[in-house]
Amino acid sequence: MMEDASMIAGWISPGREQTAAGEEGFRRLYEATSRPLWGYLQHASGRPDVADDLLQETYCKFLLSKAPAMDEAQTRSYLFRIATNLLHNRSRSRDDSALEEPAESGAQSDEDARLDVCAAMRQLKPRERELLWLAYVEGMSHAEIAAATGLGAMSIRILLYRARQKASGFLRPQRIKS
Amino acid sequence: MKQISCEHETSVIRALRSGEWTTELRLHVAECQDCSQASHLAQALGEEARRAEIHCTPPDPYWILQRSRRMAREIAMWRMTRLLALMRALAAVYVVAAAVWFLHGYAALQYREVASAMHGSASMFALMGAMVAAAFVVAGLWPILRESGERG
Repeated sequence: MMEDASMIAGWISPGREQTAAGEEGFRRLYEATSRPLWGYLQHASGRPDVADDLLQETYCKFLLSKAPAMDEAQTRSYLFRIATNLLHNRSRSRDDSALEEPAESGAQSDEDARLDVCAAMRQLKPRERELLWLAYVEGMSHAEIAAATGLGAMSIRILLYRARQKASGFLRPQRIKS
Repeated sequence: MKQISCEHETSVIRALRSGEWTTELRLHVAECQDCSQASHLAQALGEEARRAEIHCTPPDPYWILQRSRRMAREIAMWRMTRLLALMRALAAVYVVAAAVWFLHGYAALQYREVASAMHGSASMFALMGAMVAAAFVVAGLWPILRESGERG
């Protein structure tokens, strides 16, 4: 499904030949990864506008990077790593860790569930949100999470465990049965 | 070391994503508090992710490609400007060093000694060459410095 990432990345670099195949490859990569990446950025940053900005910046950095040859999983992991670094750079430069209030939509039970999850996420630190999202939504292994976040592979297990305990504590009892 | 989470947690998450559950894994989740908690949290977050994906409208990749090309041009321009600034600094250092060398030489030696030293054609050529080079550097540097001064 995805093109070789190095070919796509090389395509944009100055002096390289800009081919239609490279552009098409990027479009396919973007179609496959942009929505999950946006979801991650939105929940980790707590703001859709920040997610929009950082999504564009992530792909720009990806295109400008001199990445070595990567398969599909590595490309995905690499994109999440860029996105995580951008999130950290942003949180270092300003304090926007607070999640935005979710807009109301949908049926009442769905809405309750959504508000539960959003409220629980609001209580967590950005790093905890990132870990939970990468592990439970993206289904990344501990090694992949370590690569994406820059944390030590050994510490992921304990950090994830703590984040899960904390998140479960904030969710309503009927949603998390322990 | 104390066991902090169940070793089957990764398998549970994988099964949740793929929908491929084994009977053993189902039974394990029913009994294991860690896996049950992880499973419910993963389901809640998964639902939230699906909602987010429905409402997400990522920009057209065309604009990202355009922005990347612009950024690539800006980076190339910055690298080129950095090289020019380095050359400008080196030229300024050369002019100052040459000026100091001339002044120091003339101050240290008597005029006659200098004049007698100039009799050799090789020395004369070397001196003239250095002066011509300095003149060219100053001529090239002058408009650049003036432009920089005007820009502030």
